[in-house]
Amino acid sequence: MSLLQVDNLTVHYPGQSLPALQQVSLSLAPDELLVALGPSGCGKSTLLNVLAGFIAPSHGTAQFAGQPITGPGAERAVVFQHDGLLPWLDVAGNVAFGLKLQGVPAAKRAAIVADTLQQVGLADASDKRVWQLSGGMRQRVGIARALASQSRVLLMDEPFGALDAFTREQMQQLLLQVWRQSQRGIFLITHDIEEALFLASSLVLMSPGPGRIVQYLRPTFSQRFLAGESVRAIKSDPEFITLREQLLASLSRAQQQEAA
Amino acid sequence: MSQPAEHTLPAVDAISHHRRLTRRPLAAWQWSSLSLASLLLLWWALSASELVPALFLPTPGAVLGKLHTLTSQGYMDATLQQHLLASLQRMLLALLAAVGIGVPLGILIGVFPLLRHWLDPLIEFYRPLPPLAYLPLIVIWFGIGEFSKVLLIFLAILAPVLIATSHGVASVHNVRQQAALSLGASRGQLLRYVILPGALPDILTGIRIGLGAGWSTLVAAELIAATRGLGFMVQSAAQFLGTDIVVLGIIVIALVAFALELGLRHLQRTLTPWHGKAL
Repeated sequence: MSLLQVDNLTVHYPGQSLPALQQVSLSLAPDELLVALGPSGCGKSTLLNVLAGFIAPSHGTAQFAGQPITGPGAERAVVFQHDGLLPWLDVAGNVAFGLKLQGVPAAKRAAIVADTLQQVGLADASDKRVWQLSGGMRQRVGIARALASQSRVLLMDEPFGALDAFTREQMQQLLLQVWRQSQRGIFLITHDIEEALFLASSLVLMSPGPGRIVQYLRPTFSQRFLAGESVRAIKSDPEFITLREQLLASLSRAQQQEAA
Repeated sequence: MSQPAEHTLPAVDAISHHRRLTRRPLAAWQWSSLSLASLLLLWWALSASELVPALFLPTPGAVLGKLHTLTSQGYMDATLQQHLLASLQRMLLALLAAVGIGVPLGILIGVFPLLRHWLDPLIEFYRPLPPLAYLPLIVIWFGIGEFSKVLLIFLAILAPVLIATSHGVASVHNVRQQAALSLGASRGQLLRYVILPGALPDILTGIRIGLGAGWSTLVAAELIAATRGLGFMVQSAAQFLGTDIVVLGIIVIALVAFALELGLRHLQRTLTPWHGKAL
């Protein structure tokens, strides 16, 4: 059974002529890394907000494990681009936050936090304050917090969008390793074509006006990376470049149609 | 040779050192001390030369002498320490009440916009009023006891605390709230672990502003049939033309206000070190 299931989802914001999302359908299997790729205005953030339970569908359904999504919940942890961390807690406190909310005893919390920090490469930073960290380290904390909370799916809202190119690539590799180790479903939105191709085990290309899915793909580059191939070899592979250009072409085609 | 060149030439070193001293701009605290010192000097010059009679402006020495008399023998049946204590007690009571009522009410206003629409006109009506304007009403309603004095100071502290708290609660990052909700926070947990700590910097700022407002209301509050307190001391000394006591009282009131401000700023830095940091 799929973890997330979206059928004919339409979201219409009050006061806007076009729906933000129109007739969108997709599903996420428990071991999938699904990426929604598209320019701003394509409705990918709206889609994530529906899955997180922050906004309700106008038409159609969004389900988690067969149950309709009616609000935010601990089984669907969100990783934000900015500001998601709590500055009055240290790194360990932030990572433990979800467990604390769920009433997990302190000793067990500490063990899980230590484990998770190890996993994201922050074992030495557990007592640092959030505002002392670089952007990349903050995103590691955000990912660790979502992992530690025993969520079953991670919803990632352009998590690496604010990072420099070098850090972004490091974080992409980290995310793939975390994905394999943690055995969790991940839904990630981005406007970065390379990022989408490299990370996705399943990819939907979205287009604005109204926001909709224009193409489904199943890239295999993440499997190749996890099988040991290097990032640079993958991203400079002609196959990777061809797909990247095709995606770019269909995006601009979709935008020309919108303009026409 | 590993030493810098200027150390091998003492004469040149001395000159450049001298230049550096004369050219270096003064630090902020140095300017402030200079300003205070010149004020003291002007005071001393005007009073010691008897250009201004002692009735209007006593010499710094006379005021210092009065400090000794007031701390040992007292004035109006109480020493300076007892007057200070009486004022501080009123402030503390008013502060505790204002924080105890203002912070929870401010949180409610921040969480429920409807309550804000209801209470905003009331707060905005009384907040800009000078305390002396509604003092007579308070005396008519509540008499001349200790309660009226504390109430007046309380009202002065309440408005800034209330406004800052509700603003702080309403402006806690939406993303942080969403993050907590998606980690399974209940509404109570959201309030306790996200909204309250997120509003703390604003709450502390409100308390700081409120303390300033409350302290400046002190003299008005102690107009009401007081027998002790710094405000009372200054007023009754004025009736007997005890200018030295008036000046001394003013200085003590100013110093206490300064100490309160510094204390609150220190508290803010300790409790909310993240405040103002980019995140």
